[in-house]
Amino acid sequence: MVSDTQKLVISPSPHLKGKETVSSAMRDVFVALIPVAAVAIYFYHAYAAFLIGVCLVTAVLTELLFKKLQNKKPALHDWSALLTGLFVAMLFTATTPWWKAAIATFIAVGIAKELMGGLGWNRFNPALFGRVAMIFLAPLFAYVDGWFAPLAVNMGAVDVVTQATPLAMLNAGMEMPPLGQLFLAFPGGALSEVSPLALLIGAAYLFYKKHITWHIPVSMLAAIAILTLVAGQNPLYHLFTGGIMIGAFFMATDWVTSPFTDRGKLIFGACIGILVVIFRLGLSPTEGVAFSILIMNAFVPYIDKVMKRPSFSEPKKQAQAS
Amino acid sequence: MDVKTFQGGAHIPHYKSYTEDKPITRLSPPKKVIVPLLQHMGAPCEPLVKEGDKVELGQKIGDSDETFSAPVHASISGTVTEVGKRTVPTGGEDDCIVIEAGDGPQEFEMKQIRDPENIDLEEYRKCVREGGLTGMGGAALPTHVQVKYNEQVDTLLLNGAECEPFLTCDQRIMVEKAEQLVKAADLMMKSIGAKRTLFGIEVNKPDAIEAINELVKDRDDMEVVSLAVKYPQGFKSHLIKAATGRDVPRGARSAELGCIVRNVGTTVASYEACVYGKPLIERVVTVSGPKVTKPGNYLVRIGTPVGHILEECGVEDLENHKVVLGGPMTGLAQPHLDVPIVKSTTGVIVLPPEMTREWMEYTDCVRCDKCVEHCPMMLYPNQISIYAEASMYDTAEEWDLMDCIECGICSYVCPAARPIVHWVQRAKPEIQKRQRSRK
Repeated sequence: MVSDTQKLVISPSPHLKGKETVSSAMRDVFVALIPVAAVAIYFYHAYAAFLIGVCLVTAVLTELLFKKLQNKKPALHDWSALLTGLFVAMLFTATTPWWKAAIATFIAVGIAKELMGGLGWNRFNPALFGRVAMIFLAPLFAYVDGWFAPLAVNMGAVDVVTQATPLAMLNAGMEMPPLGQLFLAFPGGALSEVSPLALLIGAAYLFYKKHITWHIPVSMLAAIAILTLVAGQNPLYHLFTGGIMIGAFFMATDWVTSPFTDRGKLIFGACIGILVVIFRLGLSPTEGVAFSILIMNAFVPYIDKVMKRPSFSEPKKQAQAS
Repeated sequence: MDVKTFQGGAHIPHYKSYTEDKPITRLSPPKKVIVPLLQHMGAPCEPLVKEGDKVELGQKIGDSDETFSAPVHASISGTVTEVGKRTVPTGGEDDCIVIEAGDGPQEFEMKQIRDPENIDLEEYRKCVREGGLTGMGGAALPTHVQVKYNEQVDTLLLNGAECEPFLTCDQRIMVEKAEQLVKAADLMMKSIGAKRTLFGIEVNKPDAIEAINELVKDRDDMEVVSLAVKYPQGFKSHLIKAATGRDVPRGARSAELGCIVRNVGTTVASYEACVYGKPLIERVVTVSGPKVTKPGNYLVRIGTPVGHILEECGVEDLENHKVVLGGPMTGLAQPHLDVPIVKSTTGVIVLPPEMTREWMEYTDCVRCDKCVEHCPMMLYPNQISIYAEASMYDTAEEWDLMDCIECGICSYVCPAARPIVHWVQRAKPEIQKRQRSRK
């Protein structure tokens, strides 16, 4: 017998839900970074593992602290803090002093994400914001390094760290390693720069899961390829060195800080590509990708506004013209 | 096969296998019916009976002088026990006539009173009004205002898309009553003065497509249009766009589009009202859900309390379940089981807790753009939701909130589980008020 006293659930429509949640999506991005993190650990052993660990722990503690300060419920289960921590770690070289990486993570999670209003409200990619902040704070570290020096952890020598990075070799016009090797795996630079192939494997997973679309990576990489070709350089060397790969597939495609529509994404990606080439060939030899993406992040609301598509109900104008 | 569709939208698991092969069967009449006086868009009916009156099956018990209205009829024979406020499926309370079953016929006798081959169109239109016909697919417009002769209309578009998950009542009508449907369409087409009839059917109903195709393949003025399986294909605007290619600008009337859209159930019922003199006292309702022991497509009296239906279909434990009238994407969750079936109720869907979402547990928009990608109206549900949530209605209006058809795709795909449709529904009356004061 169906009785009237049973508790029925009432809520607005729709009553069905899709499978995807913010947590599952963020976790998928985290998983997509594991291949490149694994290659980094393969090259740098304890250095890489330690740096990643420091950033993850800092990210969690920072999130807890800032949620507490703002009287909000902690949202660790949405994976966004952990993901930002991992991203920050991937943007540093293996021998970066751990306190620098920790401070960058603190800035990324605490300032660039939480103080901007939390996940969804941040206008700039938090990890890149944290990374670039460290460049501007560099003079400060002349003092700070001294205080932290006794806390340095010695994990023995890693010879691969001392050689020039492929990007530096490219800038200096040195003889480059074979392209195939660069693509597969080659030590040097930030943790994320060790293997374009591993990044592509992660990106393929994100495509498969439909978390990213082709628009931003393709327009960005195409812009870089065309412009470097016009400048008389081998585009492949550019694409496979520095932060272009992680930038194109993981950073520029960040949900929160990229435009809404496909057309907006194409413009956004192409502009980043143009800026990257300007940085690489003209301005600063390093961190061009990070700067380019952050600059374009600032333009996203403008791109969204200009590229607004007409509503299905918008009357078409050509009717009276013909 | 040429399959037509529109831009945007999404494929949603359709859960139709529970009932798509279940023939329409008659549900036992309930001991009482609750007949709301307003079951359509427009003016409510005035009661024609009072407490204590004896009524007979099919007797008119409520009517109105307004053009935009449709009368209501007794769906069982018995005694009127109450004329007053009761919970209605659209939410809140409204005037209803409660009838307790008593003496008199309880089954309508299907006796032909008019020759279907030879019907006076003026008489047909009168039957449609007197029979209390309204749209049975959801919008519930009085049907008689849209069967008048209209020389601007060239196309009668019959809506057999049935894009909502779970629902299969229209599919069964198309399969089992194909012949009647085609005759009914013929009559309606003549009444409107349309040149052709299109049957828009999603391709996940091959049996329905085949049944109708068999009957119309030799006719020049009728055609089945196969539609892609995509939600919300059955919404009027998107059906018109997909089937005829015509744009549907805001505020456009059907006549200006040259196209009138009719639900297949309504079309058959209009025919029955004329040929058999049968008013709209019962309809096919899909009763479904993973925990419903006897899911099916049932012929149910208008006014039947939901509790009676669920009991007959073997539903026992409802703790923390949702009982939705209509489809699961746009239907309304009901607070209790004494709510009646009305003319536009397409389904009774019982959803267990694991299938629905805790709607209060949403988070901020993460700008993933999935709603923008899938919005069939080409809107920006993400922006609209942020402004509507914050009661910034002027900005929400700039982002075309008023064009929203509340199909629910945005909330369905939203990883942050934002109740976007809820905010839109809250904002619309407020924005309408502002629009009026601006004029």
